[in-house]
Parts: sequence; C-alpha cells; structure tokens
Amino acid sequence: MKKISKFTYLLIISSLLVITSCSKDDPKIPNEEELITTLKMTLTPVSGGNTVTLSFKDLDGDGGNSPVVTGGTLLRNSSYNGKLELLNESETPIDDITKEILAEADEHQFFFQSTVSGLSVTYSDNDKNNKPLGLATLVKTVGAGSGKLTVTLRHKPSKNAQGVATGDITNAGGETDIAVTFDIVVQ
Amino acid sequence: MFNKLIIFVILNLVCFGSLYSQSCTTVIKGVVIDLHTNKPLESVSIFNIETEKSSFTDSLGQFEFRDFCTGNYHFLIRHLACESKELYLALTKDTSIIFTLEHSINLLGTVYVDGRAIEKTIKNVQTVKQSTIQDYSNESLSNILEQLPGVNTIKNGSGISKPIVNGLYGNRLLILNNGVPQSGQQWGSDHSPEIDPLVANTIKVVKGAGALEYMGANLGNVILIEPAKIRADPHLHGRTTFSYGSNGRASSLNLQLEQGGTFAWKINGTLKKSGDRSSPSYFLRNTGSDEANLALQVERNFNNKLFTEIYLSTFNTTLGVLRGSHVGNLTDLTEALSRQVPFFTEDSYSKTIDAPKQRVNHHLAKFRIKYFRSKSDWFDFTVAGQKNVRKEFDIRRGLRSEIPALSLYQYSFLSELKYQIEFEPQLTLKTGFQTNFTDNSNDSETGILPLIPDYRSVELGQYAILSKKYKSQTWELGIRNSYFVQNVATITRTIPKTIERFDNKFYNLNATAGWSYDYQNKLVTTLSTGYIKRNPAINELYSLGLHQGVSGIEEGTVDLNPEKSWKNTMAVKAIISKNITIESFAYYQRIADYIFLAPQNELQLTIRGAFPLFKYDQTDGRMYGVDAQTIVDIKERLSVKLAYSYLHGRDLSNNVPLIGMPSNNTSTSFDYIISKDFKWLGVRFDNLDVGVNHRYVFRQSNLLPFQDFTLPPPSYQLSSLKASTNLTYKTQKIRLLFRIENLFNVRFRDYLNRQRYFSDDLGRNIVMVFQSKF
Repeated sequence: MKKISKFTYLLIISSLLVITSCSKDDPKIPNEEELITTLKMTLTPVSGGNTVTLSFKDLDGDGGNSPVVTGGTLLRNSSYNGKLELLNESETPIDDITKEILAEADEHQFFFQSTVSGLSVTYSDNDKNNKPLGLATLVKTVGAGSGKLTVTLRHKPSKNAQGVATGDITNAGGETDIAVTFDIVVQ
Repeated sequence: MFNKLIIFVILNLVCFGSLYSQSCTTVIKGVVIDLHTNKPLESVSIFNIETEKSSFTDSLGQFEFRDFCTGNYHFLIRHLACESKELYLALTKDTSIIFTLEHSINLLGTVYVDGRAIEKTIKNVQTVKQSTIQDYSNESLSNILEQLPGVNTIKNGSGISKPIVNGLYGNRLLILNNGVPQSGQQWGSDHSPEIDPLVANTIKVVKGAGALEYMGANLGNVILIEPAKIRADPHLHGRTTFSYGSNGRASSLNLQLEQGGTFAWKINGTLKKSGDRSSPSYFLRNTGSDEANLALQVERNFNNKLFTEIYLSTFNTTLGVLRGSHVGNLTDLTEALSRQVPFFTEDSYSKTIDAPKQRVNHHLAKFRIKYFRSKSDWFDFTVAGQKNVRKEFDIRRGLRSEIPALSLYQYSFLSELKYQIEFEPQLTLKTGFQTNFTDNSNDSETGILPLIPDYRSVELGQYAILSKKYKSQTWELGIRNSYFVQNVATITRTIPKTIERFDNKFYNLNATAGWSYDYQNKLVTTLSTGYIKRNPAINELYSLGLHQGVSGIEEGTVDLNPEKSWKNTMAVKAIISKNITIESFAYYQRIADYIFLAPQNELQLTIRGAFPLFKYDQTDGRMYGVDAQTIVDIKERLSVKLAYSYLHGRDLSNNVPLIGMPSNNTSTSFDYIISKDFKWLGVRFDNLDVGVNHRYVFRQSNLLPFQDFTLPPPSYQLSSLKASTNLTYKTQKIRLLFRIENLFNVRFRDYLNRQRYFSDDLGRNIVMVFQSKF
C-alpha cells in the first residue's frame, strides 16, 4: 500500500507540473491572402465628366465590425465605363486580388442586377473561351430614378448554362465569392 | 478431489473446472445459466468443433459429454436470442463447467470490466453485440448505434455522422474508446467520432447519472467502445469480414487475427471505400469516403494477478461532403432550399472525392496495468496519448482548394489510477484519480483566421462511488470533483491583429444517488438522480468566424456560466413470462444555463453577402422522454421486437422548443428462424433466419417556424429486409448475410441531417456481408 501511495503522490505532483506549464504559445497569425476586404467599382463617363466610385470595405473580414458601403449618383441618359477592383487591405502592402480573378477568368464571372429602371450593365471583357468575365463593363442609364445595384462574383459558375453569357445569374450556380449591394441614384 | 480453479475464458464466460486424470473416458459436465436472472437456460446447443459432437441443455440447464480424450477442444455455445460464444478447453481431467450466457438485449445490463471483474454498480446500459457490429460492418459507429432505442445520429450527409443519446451530443456526450475519452474536435456537429466500430467487441451506451467514474465533461450519458480481452485460446484464430453495399458501390474489408496465452496479441485492420451515394432519384455528388484503420492489442498476464495491456490504434479517413451543399450566403441558401435536385448533380457515378471534404487522422496509444491484490480488491492504472489531425477543405480560389480551410492538431494525454474494493458483505467502493491534458493548435497554412482558437487545457478529477447490495436491493452513492484549467490564445479581429489571452478555471462538483430493486428476477426497477456540472467548452466561449458546417457566422460568448444539470431516470425491466420482456427507460433532465447556438435576429453583412449570425447563448432547458422496448419470443423461432422513443425539449426562459432535438420514432422487427440446425452436403447450417424491420420517424413538430431556415421535413417510414445463416464445414465457419435497406426506395429527409436543406437522403441499398472465421 505504501508503494501505491507514493505512486499517487507522484501522479499528483506530475499533474501539478503539467498545470504550471499550461500556458499556450502565441499562435501564428495566418496570412489571409485569399481575403477580399474591398470592392471598388469606378464608373468613368464615356463622354467625359465626373468619375463615380462605388465601394464596399470590410477591413476585419467576416463578422466583427460592419462593412462601410458607399453608393453613388449617376447622370441620366449616360454611358459609363465600369471597372472593378478587388483588394485585400488588411495586408501591408495592399494585395490586389483583381489579378487573381483575371488569371482564373474562365472560372469566374461577375453578375450585375439592378432595381433602377433603365439601368443596364453589359460585359466589355472576355475570358480565354470568349465568355464574359465582368471586370470591365459598360453601364448605361436612361431616366431618373433610384434603387440598388448588386454586384455578384461567382466562382466556378456554369458559364455555358442558359442566359449566363448575357449576365442572367439564374442558372449560373457556383459559389458566391462576392455579393455586395450599392444604393444608386440617377438624376 | 475437486479443486476449484477459475479459468479465464472469453468475455462473459466464467468456468470452474474440477480436476481428474483419465484419457479417452473423460467426462465434461456443465450447466448454462442466464447471466441476469441466474436461472438455468434450456435448449442451449453445445457443439464441439473437433469431434462434431453436440449436446443440448435440459430443463435444469445441464449438459454432458462422455468419452472425450484428453486434449485441446473448442466449443461453440449457441442459444436463441443469445450471442453465440466460443470456449476453449484444455481437457486433462473430468471437468464441470458453469457458463453464464447473456440472454437477449437489455436496457438494464451489467458492465464487464474484464473476464473476472463484474461491476456491481447501478447503470442503465444498452449493448450492441459483436455479431450486430459485424453484420453492419459497412456502417459507421454512429449508424450502428442508431439501432438502440433513444440513440439517434446527427448527420452531415451520408458519411459524416455523430451519435446523440437522449438529446445530448457533442460536448455533452462522452465517448470512451477502449477506456480513453475520445479527444479531437468533438464539438462540431459535422465531425464524426474517429473510431472504427469493427475493432470493438461491444458498444455500450450508458444512460443516466451513473456514469460518474468517467472523465470528461458530460451530462450523464456515455458511449463505451470496448475491444474484448483476448481469449485464452493459445491457437491462432482469425476472422475476415467483407461487405459490399450497392449504394455508393461501397466495399469494406476487415481482418482480425488473435492468439491467446500468457502473452496474447490481437491485430485488427479495416479498409473501406465508397463512391458517390445516391438518393432514390439522383447521385449525391462528392459523397464518397475512404477509410484505413489498424489496431494492435497486446496483453501479458503475470500469475493471474498482474495484467498488462498495450493498445495502439490508428484511424484515417477522407470524407466527401455533398458538392451542392457548399453554398455561399443566405441568398444562395434560399435558392438551394427551393431546388428539387441539388446544384452540381451529375448523371454518372464517381469515385473521386474533391473539395469540400474532410481528412481526419486519429492515433491512440494506451498502456494499462491491472493488479489484483485479491479477488475483490484491485488497482487499475492507465496512461494514454492521442493525436488528432483534422483538415477540412473548401472550394477556394487560385488552386487553394488543396489547402485546408480548417487545419487543427490536437494532442491529449491521460493518466488514471483506479481502485476498487469489495468489503464484506457486498459493499463496494470504487475510487480513482485522473488527469487529462489537451493541447490544441491551428496550422496557419489555411490562410484563414481560425474558427476556434489555440488552447491548452488540463482536467484533474477524482471520484468515489460506494454501492451496497442487500438481498434484492442495491443502493449507490457517488461523488466527483473536477478541476478544469483552460489557457486560451485567441487572435483578435482588430487592425492590426493581436493575440488576446484568457485563463479560465472551473471547479465542477457532481453527485449521484441510485437505488435498484429486483423483485424475484421478474421486475427490476432502477431509480437514479444526479447533479452534474459542465463548464463551457472552448468553442462555446471563443469560436468566431464562418462555419461552413452550419452555413453561418458563429460567435462564442466569453462569459458563459457552467451548465448545471439535474437528471432523474427510471428504468423498469419486466419479465412478464418466459417469452415476453418489457423494458422502459424514462428520464427528466433540467439544465440550468443550457448552452446552445442561438440564431440571432440580425444578419451579418460580409463581402459575400448576408449570413445568418449564430451566437452561443444560455437558457434554462428541460428535456424529458422515454425509450421503451418489448420483446416477444414465440416458440423459440419467432422474435418480435417493438421499440418506441419519445423526447421533448423546451427552452424554459424563452418559452420555445429546444432546437436540434431528435424526432420521435418507432421500430418494429420480426425475426424468424427457418431452421435452427441442418446438414447439407457435409455443411452444417445453423440459424437460417429471415427478418424484416420497419421504422417510422415522426415529423419534428416541436419546433417553431422561425427557429430554422425551413420547416422540419415530414415524417417518413423505412423498411428493411434481411436473411442470414452460419455455415460450418470442418473447422471453417462462414457467415452469410444479405440485407436490403430502404426496401421501397422511399424519398425522405431527416431533421437531424444537415443535408436536408439540399438533398434527399439515401435510397435503396443492397448489402452483402461475408465472414469467415478460423
């Protein structure tokens, strides 16, 4: 029995040792190179004038603080060259994700849905299979009004599905990498 | 002269030999008794493999063999509704044997620690027998367990499933693999336990408050996966089981070899492979799985006083997740919900497993010493180490699909010293001291902020259980102290990111009391009550981020209180007549500060759109229910089993139902033995039987519409059909089984399967099992 008691003490002492060495090392903070914090859509009037920039910024990623969303005001009966830019601003230096999308253009497609009457978005760029991508677009307005413009980026959509090539998202499938909505006023 | 000598035989068999010296006129006499009622069992077949002689027990349970030569013999003991047993006998003298057979399945049973020590404490135990495990060798641990009343599974498609016992799962349900609390990421509802059921000889579910001696935070229910002691037989024995399932074209191969003696060893290996499973009308893309497991068990016995055991096991799996269930934001989820056929469904079968998938490895090493100071007084010491590696892969941009989105390493180390003594008269004390150390780390290779943080935790526990048996009554009192330390290093979401540390200390006191009354072995009533405290787990406190498993953003709450549970159970087993047994188990559990993942009223906006937000919250919970089962044996040929499970869960603070509770269900089965024993072309057939089963799962109506993305699926009923037989040719024993699951190819969705949002559940599956023993 004495042997056993000694053994029990040993067990208790060793477990106390374990407790004192309990502090966990600092974790390595992962490099979030895939993260997109910011989407900017620059709308440059085709016939000159003021550039409008729509932006969505969520520097701390999913959860936490709410993103900052900035809409814009467009002129009626106008055409704008739309240019999308995707950034990861949580890294220093800032990471340009646009390049990554461009490199995998055949696996990505942007879709634009608007509730503003008359506002249309058409593709001005293509991937290697001659299917639209959507980093570059032509945005046209007709009458005055207001509403929302939703920009969606799908990863691995069915680019051959019906309507997808003309920007109809219904049959696109794939994963949503980006889905942001801007308030738009046309005056 | 009769010298009583205890020989260790395989589990459940104790025999007393008396010694005489003769040759070829040796007599073997014996009696077979029911383990639970202590009454003799009639019509038990005792078959000697070497001489092909057989004998049946009479009404007094007695049998006799005459004119045996001295030598080594293998016997097969079979009885209707009992699991057949094997006995090895080194015959040197006239011998008399007492067999105890475990007759029929039980809600109330006895737990065997090993061949010698029978626990005398009050527990409500249900057992899955080895033969059932073998017959379902194509299934996972959770799916096998689902056959017990009150046990359900939480699934994420066909391959990923975890058990839920009386409404408790994950952090609240302890799983002991060969005596060691299973470590790993058990909190996740989409994380299956990393255990190969084919290594186990029995799987037991302990319900109620009597599970105090086991370490680990649990609210009363424990699952025990127990490989048996290696049998005493000094010859090499083995078993090969092959199964094929048409759904998923799934095959599994298991090989087991063992050799007894003073130095005994057993090795068990399993390979499983399945491709895409299918629903009644389409393939479920990317739902295949792979598995490769190996376990080695070595035992050494010193003078029948000191027993040592080394157990090593490795479990490795890759599990595909339905491609169409990998949705982005809430809009995509809503769209997926409205679809008849999930996105990405293909017309052809495929074996490849792409992202989304899980790759999990679990390794266990255990060393155990058991020292008997006397027959009623022993020490049991165990040390065990575990390593768990979990990598989950999502569909990602830029070739990152091959980089895990979640990559966790967990090491844990357990040491345990137990002591048990039986004082006179029938007063037993069980006590023990345990420590468990866990180290959990994320690999930053993911490029994603981790969902759960890095941490270390230590648990120190001690317990004492005193039980007293007097005539037909048993009383029991138990107490457990545990001290819990968590050291956590989280990464903040500030810019720039920093490390934030938390140090938590919890003290948990658990206490139970039980009483059992056995009226003439006809009516056994067991009552138990217990107070159990469980401290919040790491994921409940600190998880933060997008959890693909729940398609939402999950946020821990740092100031959660421990859960305090008060559980009462009542088990009644009534043997109405020789042929009718009724068993029921009722429970009532109040959990103050019940921790659950509460859907929040707000949506969280991210660059990928809006996601539902879930936060860990506390409430006062209440669960009550009943599991009932009736078994009727008709003329020893037909066995009818009726089972019913009911559970009601309520969130008392908010006056709403508790979410994630299993649906009520009934199960009816008929097993008919066409022929007990016949010989054909030199092949002996025994127990040629056929069976049908019908299972009805009610709709989970105890839920309000706002508590889920969609209404719970409607009720469904499934039928299955099976036929099996055992063949013996010389010393070769073969078992054949044929089974059809979901016989009518019914389309259904189950409330506890997360894939119910996206796809139908599994369609018809034709299973064949072939087993050969030597």
